[in-house]
Amino acid sequence: MSEPAIRFANATVRYAGADRDAIDDITFDVMPGELVVLLGPSGCGKSTLLRTVNRLVPLDGGKVEFFGSNVAEIDPVELRRNIGYAIQAVGLFGHMTVAANIGVVPSLLGWKGDDIDARVDELLTMVDLDPARYRNRKPRELSGGEAQRVGVARALAARPRALLMDEPFGAVDALVRAELQRELLRIVRELRTTTLFVTHDVEEALLLADKIVAMQSGRVEQIGEPSALLDRPESDYVRTLFHAGDALYREYFLHVRAEMRER
Amino acid sequence: MNVTRKHVLAALASLPALTRCAGLSPSIRVGSKNFTESFVIAEIYAQALEKAGFTVMRRFNLGSTQIALAAMQRGDIDLYPEYTGTALIDVLHLAPMQNPHALYSTVSREFAKRYDFVWLKPSPMNDSQALATTKQIAAREKIETLSDLAPKASSLRLATIQEFLARADGLPGLQRVYGGFHFADVRTYDIALKYNALLGGKADVASAFTTDGAIATDDLVILRDDRHLWPPYNVAPVVRRQTLGSHANIAIVLDGVSPRITDIAAQRMNAAVESAHKDPADVASAFLAGKPF
Amino acid sequence: MWPDLAAHALAHLGLAGSAMLVALAIGLPAGAFAGIFGPVRNVALALASVGRTLPSLAVLMLLLPLLGVGATPAIVALALLAIPPIVIAVDLGIRGVPAGVLDAAAGMGMTATGRFFRVIAPLALPVSFSGVRTAAIETIASATLATFIGAGGLGDDIVRGLQTNDPTILLAGAATVALLALAVELALGTVARRLEART
Repeated sequence: MSEPAIRFANATVRYAGADRDAIDDITFDVMPGELVVLLGPSGCGKSTLLRTVNRLVPLDGGKVEFFGSNVAEIDPVELRRNIGYAIQAVGLFGHMTVAANIGVVPSLLGWKGDDIDARVDELLTMVDLDPARYRNRKPRELSGGEAQRVGVARALAARPRALLMDEPFGAVDALVRAELQRELLRIVRELRTTTLFVTHDVEEALLLADKIVAMQSGRVEQIGEPSALLDRPESDYVRTLFHAGDALYREYFLHVRAEMRER
Repeated sequence: MNVTRKHVLAALASLPALTRCAGLSPSIRVGSKNFTESFVIAEIYAQALEKAGFTVMRRFNLGSTQIALAAMQRGDIDLYPEYTGTALIDVLHLAPMQNPHALYSTVSREFAKRYDFVWLKPSPMNDSQALATTKQIAAREKIETLSDLAPKASSLRLATIQEFLARADGLPGLQRVYGGFHFADVRTYDIALKYNALLGGKADVASAFTTDGAIATDDLVILRDDRHLWPPYNVAPVVRRQTLGSHANIAIVLDGVSPRITDIAAQRMNAAVESAHKDPADVASAFLAGKPF
Repeated sequence: MWPDLAAHALAHLGLAGSAMLVALAIGLPAGAFAGIFGPVRNVALALASVGRTLPSLAVLMLLLPLLGVGATPAIVALALLAIPPIVIAVDLGIRGVPAGVLDAAAGMGMTATGRFFRVIAPLALPVSFSGVRTAAIETIASATLATFIGAGGLGDDIVRGLQTNDPTILLAGAATVALLALAVELALGTVARRLEART
C-alpha cells in the first residue's frame, strides 16, 4: 500500500472561549493524486482543517503528516513553498503583474529568470489564458474568473506535491464556476496533483471529488466516494445533504461527473 | 459758603460713581504695546482710572509703536503709554535730543500739532534702548561702552527682535553713530526669548531695555551709550484730546500716579512678571496699593 | 528685501526639510508597527490623535526648557508636529491591505519580512504617501514659527512686517511661504499619482 500524501491522525484544534473544538479528533488519509473534498456548512471546521496542512493553523492535539513527515517538524516556510494554496479571495498582489504574481514561489525557491518566464507561459496556457495578452496585465484589470485562474496558476507554479483550495470558486457566477470546475479537474488529473478542496456546495463536491469528507461541527460525519454517500448515507445529516432516495438527483450527478471526466 | 462749596465738590467728585450706577459711566479704552513693561504700566493707568470711577476697556498687546499709534488715530483706543525717545525718533523722525525736559516739550508740542494728542505728566523712569551682555563676556572682551563693542561686533553674535533691525534708532542707528557693529551673526527672536539665547550661550550680545527685569535678576550688564545715540525714554500717558476734553479727570488721576514710576520700580515690576511669573494686573495693583510684589 | 527673502526662503526649506527627514525616520517605522501589531496601534493612534491637536506654538514653547532656542528645537518641534499625520496614514495604508492578500502571501511561503517588504509596504505606499504629503505641507506652514526662537526662515519677514507695520514685507513673506507650500504640493502630487498608477 502506498504512503498517503496527507494523513490526519486525531487532529484537534481548540479555539479559546469556544464551547466546542473547531476540529475534534479527525482521522483520515488523502492518497497521492486524489482530489478529496471537505464538505460542510460554514463553521463546521473544514477551512480550519485545510489550514492545518500548511500550518496556517496550529494543532492542539494529534498530528498531520505530509508525505510521511510530521508537518510540525518541517520549517513552515519550506513546507508552504511546496504546497499550492488557492483561496476564495484569490489574494493576487495588486502592485505586481500577472506574470510576477505567478512567479512568486519559483522566485522564492531560487529559480532562474528564464525558467520562471517559461513556467509562467506554460501555466497561463494551462489555465486557458493567452500568455501574450495576460502576462503584463495588472490584477485590477482581470475579471473574477480570470483572477481565479491566475490564482490557480500561481498555486501550481512551483510544481507543488499537493494543492490546498479553500472555496476557490465561491465568488464567481455559476457559468464561470462550471468552466473553472472543468478546468481544475482537467489540470489536476493531468498533473496528478494531490488536491484537498473545501466547499459548502454539495453539487460541486459531487462533481469534483474522488472522495468526500462530510463534516459538521468539527467532526467527520462520513467519508466515501460520492456514490457511497448518495446510496448509503450513514446519518440523517448526510441523508438530508445528499437527497437520499432521490433517484433523479443521483442519476443526474453521476451522469455529469462521468461527462466531465471524459474530456 | 464753605459748606456749600464742599457739598458741590463732593457732588462733583461723586458724579462718576453716580453715573456708573446709572449705567452711564464713561468708558475709557486703554491700549498697550506688546511687551511686559507696556502691559504693566497700561494696567497701572487702567486700575488708577477704575479706582477713580471710570469704566475701562483694555485693548492691550497692540503689536508695535506703529500699531498703537494707528489705533489712536482711528479712535480704537483713547490713551496708551508711550516713551519720549520712541516718539521723537520713530514717530516724529527728528534728531535725537539728550535733555529730557526739552525732549518732552518737543514731543508734546509736535503730537498736539500733528495728531491732536496730549502728553500727560511723564514718569522719572527711563526705559532706554541698550545692548546687554553677560558679565563674563564683558570681562573677556574688555567692553564697558558701546564704543568698545563697535569694532568687536564682527566676532560676536547678536540676539534681537525684527523691530530693532528695522527701526532708525535700532541697529542702523548704532552703525551710523558708532561705526562698526557688523555682527558675525544676527538672529531674531520673540521678545520674551532674547535673553534665553544670551544666557543659553547661543548669543553674545542682546538688544535690551534698561528697565528689563532680567537686568536686575540675572548675570547681565548694560553697555554705556557713550556717544548718546539713544535719547531719554521717559514714559507718559498719551491721550486723545477729544477724550480729555470730555473727561478732564483723567489727567488728574494719571498725573497722580506717574511720578511714582521710577527706574527701580519698573525693573522690579518687570522682574516680577518675567521671572516670578506674576500677573501684570496683580503687580500693577500691588504697586498702586504700595504693597510688595 | 529680495535677497533677504531668498535667503530666508532657503533657510525655511532647510528647516522644513530637516524636520521631515526626522519625522519620516520616526513616523514610518512607528506607523508600520502600529499597522501590524494591535496593541501598539492603540497606543500609537492615541498619541497621534493628541499630537495632531497640539498647537504648534505650544509645542515650541514646551520644548524651551528642554532644548533652549535655535534651529535644533525648531526642527524637533516641527518634526513632532509632522509625525502624527505620517503615523496615521502609514497605519491606515497597512490595514488597508486586504486580508486575502496577506493570507495568500503567508500560505505560499513568504517569510514575515518578505511579506512586509514585498507585499504590504508596496500596497500601503499610496495611502502612506498621502500622509507624508499632508505632513510636508503642514511643516512648511508651521516653520514660520521658527522666527520666535531665532531659527530664521520666512517667519522673520512676516514678523518684520508686523513689528514695523509694513504690509509689503509682511505679504512678501506670507506669499513666499504659500508659494513654497504650493510647489511642494505639486511635486508630491505628481509622485502620488505615479504611485497610484502602479496598483
